[in-house]
Amino acid sequence: MTNDVLKRLEARSIAKQSEFIGNIASRLGRVGKTDSKPKHPFKGAPAFWNEFDLPLEERVSLFSDNWGKAGGHVVRHGSMEEAKAWIAAKANELGAKLVLRQNQPELNALAIEAELPEARVVVWDEAPKSDRLAVAAGADIGLIVVDHAVAYTGSLVAKSSARKGRSVSLLPTALFAIVPLDRLKTRLGEVLRPLDATPREQLPAGVHFISGPSRSADIENDLTIGVHGPGVVYAILVG
Amino acid sequence: MSHANAHGSTVKERADIALNDEFLRKAVKFTTERLRNGKKAASAEHGNWDEWRERGRQIRLHTIAHLDYYLNTFIENARANGVHIHFADTAAEAVEISLTIAKHVGARSVVKSKSMVSEELHLNAALEGIGVESIETDLGEYIIQLANETPSHIIIPAIHKNRYQIAELLSKDAGETLEPETKILAGFVRKKLREKFLEADIGMTGCNFAIAESGSMVLFENEGNARMVTTVPKTQITLMGMERIIPTWDDLEVMATLLPRSATGQRLTVYMSGITGPRRTDDGDGPEEMHIIIVDNGRSLQLGDPEFQELLNCIRCGACLNACPVYRHIGGHAYGGTYSGPIGAVLTPALQKNVAEWDDIANASSLCGACYEACPVKIPLHDMLVYLRRRKVQAGGGDPLEKAGMKGFQVIMTNASRFRGVLKLAKLGQPLVARDGYIKAKIGPLAGWNSYRHLPALPSDSFRDRWTTLYGELQAEAGTKSEEARRRMEAALAKRKQEGGRGHD
Repeated sequence: MTNDVLKRLEARSIAKQSEFIGNIASRLGRVGKTDSKPKHPFKGAPAFWNEFDLPLEERVSLFSDNWGKAGGHVVRHGSMEEAKAWIAAKANELGAKLVLRQNQPELNALAIEAELPEARVVVWDEAPKSDRLAVAAGADIGLIVVDHAVAYTGSLVAKSSARKGRSVSLLPTALFAIVPLDRLKTRLGEVLRPLDATPREQLPAGVHFISGPSRSADIENDLTIGVHGPGVVYAILVG
Repeated sequence: MSHANAHGSTVKERADIALNDEFLRKAVKFTTERLRNGKKAASAEHGNWDEWRERGRQIRLHTIAHLDYYLNTFIENARANGVHIHFADTAAEAVEISLTIAKHVGARSVVKSKSMVSEELHLNAALEGIGVESIETDLGEYIIQLANETPSHIIIPAIHKNRYQIAELLSKDAGETLEPETKILAGFVRKKLREKFLEADIGMTGCNFAIAESGSMVLFENEGNARMVTTVPKTQITLMGMERIIPTWDDLEVMATLLPRSATGQRLTVYMSGITGPRRTDDGDGPEEMHIIIVDNGRSLQLGDPEFQELLNCIRCGACLNACPVYRHIGGHAYGGTYSGPIGAVLTPALQKNVAEWDDIANASSLCGACYEACPVKIPLHDMLVYLRRRKVQAGGGDPLEKAGMKGFQVIMTNASRFRGVLKLAKLGQPLVARDGYIKAKIGPLAGWNSYRHLPALPSDSFRDRWTTLYGELQAEAGTKSEEARRRMEAALAKRKQEGGRGHD
């Protein structure tokens, strides 16, 4: 690392900042220092929207409908035990050789490894750091438990951490995402607003909203699934 | 830009070329129609669309009006997150900073996800110039990069290519013949780019929104390539237009409601990623070093300009392109700049200090206002096109012939006897050129008009000639007519009273 270059760029940036911001301020008719914190009367969604809240079963059916329309699959199980049996059966059916999973308490308790004697199951942060991307790129299935889901947009939300790789929901051919139903919200705002309340230094590096399989219509408007991200995506609702 | 421009120097010349290309015209029409209908359906289904638009507009207006505060807040928070912030007044400066970073990390290759700012900079050529391979990873962008062309639509960049042309390009790239089938072609690109992602030293992105209060950047996409670019390489460089800011995550809900629905009719793009700084110390992936280059490149010129400041509210959805009857006919390349369609017609000259060079694209519009109707943040583009035309004329850039014509028109029309005299003269002269009630000759001031249609000949008996007679007849009839009408209305009123209960009471 040539830290000298970074230091030089940093010094240049600091020196330039006041000029850059000053130019904006003066064009906006404010001379001297920049504006103090303005009132923000139209923050977020319109008021009527914030009252929109569906009961659980309606959230489930709206989520399922949206996820299905986007080209994803939905299954629902009453318990983690049932979900485990389904995951094992599906992984075997697909002939999965390599399964990559997050290091999450729910998945540790699931002990899916025992059900998949044919496959190698790798836990994200147990692989050497230098190997992780290669493992993820070679994995047939990425297995995660979502942090949240949003019914209205048909989205899963995955936040990154030391134990939860961003690659796990991105690089494998198929994504299996467990959605505990108490994490299924109605609106996007229910996930976004708490991020404002989280102290900056506690925010994860990546907050990823996933609303179906990777897709593109760039060739003659013909929809293709699985362009860069996973083309096969299962939302496994539990509860 | 150079490629598209090589074919013609004015919008009209480039449009003529576009209009000759039947496939292009059909493809553009089909795609824009599909996107436009998708948008209509998605906004109707969501409901209260105008309230959301108004909310979106308010948030953008507010942010831009206090851009100094919000941008500064963003910078401080992003720095605290460990991001290296840089400022670029011009495209050249942004390129220079990018190259400095590329050299500093010893990069051999850069993978890029779609970024309109990067198109403004012509960065790929600059990177190649210092021996760094630069790869566009959005499927459409990859295709047009192989073809050495520029995007012709903000959302579907390769809208102008058919799958046979694409198969030809990709076959050359693959070194083997690929069938012109979407699945096969996309499959090849997936495999090829997988390797590129894994080898790349730098991932380069644009920025849909930047959140001031947490110093985060947000990307919307469908393919997953932007996630790849921000997850796999060790260094991330983000090019951000200085106006991309929104105050909070809460405000993102409004943008996330407006942008995907307006762009493609989706409820949300497949991926929406909020990235806050480089990877944390214990994280297993994500960039170790993250740079954000904040680009002005003409944007600040709009600030404080009451006619054009709202341009900075644009969220780059492309809805105005899909709604524009002119864009749907001539396609994106005819506009000759990075941005096409109604937004391009205003933004391109606005971002250039030298307006004169670009102002002819302001004429590539029918001023019908469909762009404004489509815009999710209600930018009055059609008004701006008029301002642009006015500025051009005021700056002396008007057509001297047109000016002389208007003067002449004024002289004739402000004096009735002069007008009568001219009509008489024209009637005497027109038998020389009129046939079957039309004048078809492309002569003098009629040349432009008659290139596309025919001018009706003056009638032998004009309205003015007949007016005295007509007026007399009207006066004579008026008495009886009004008596009749009064009786009819009274009868109707009496009838309604009898039926009762159907009025607006």
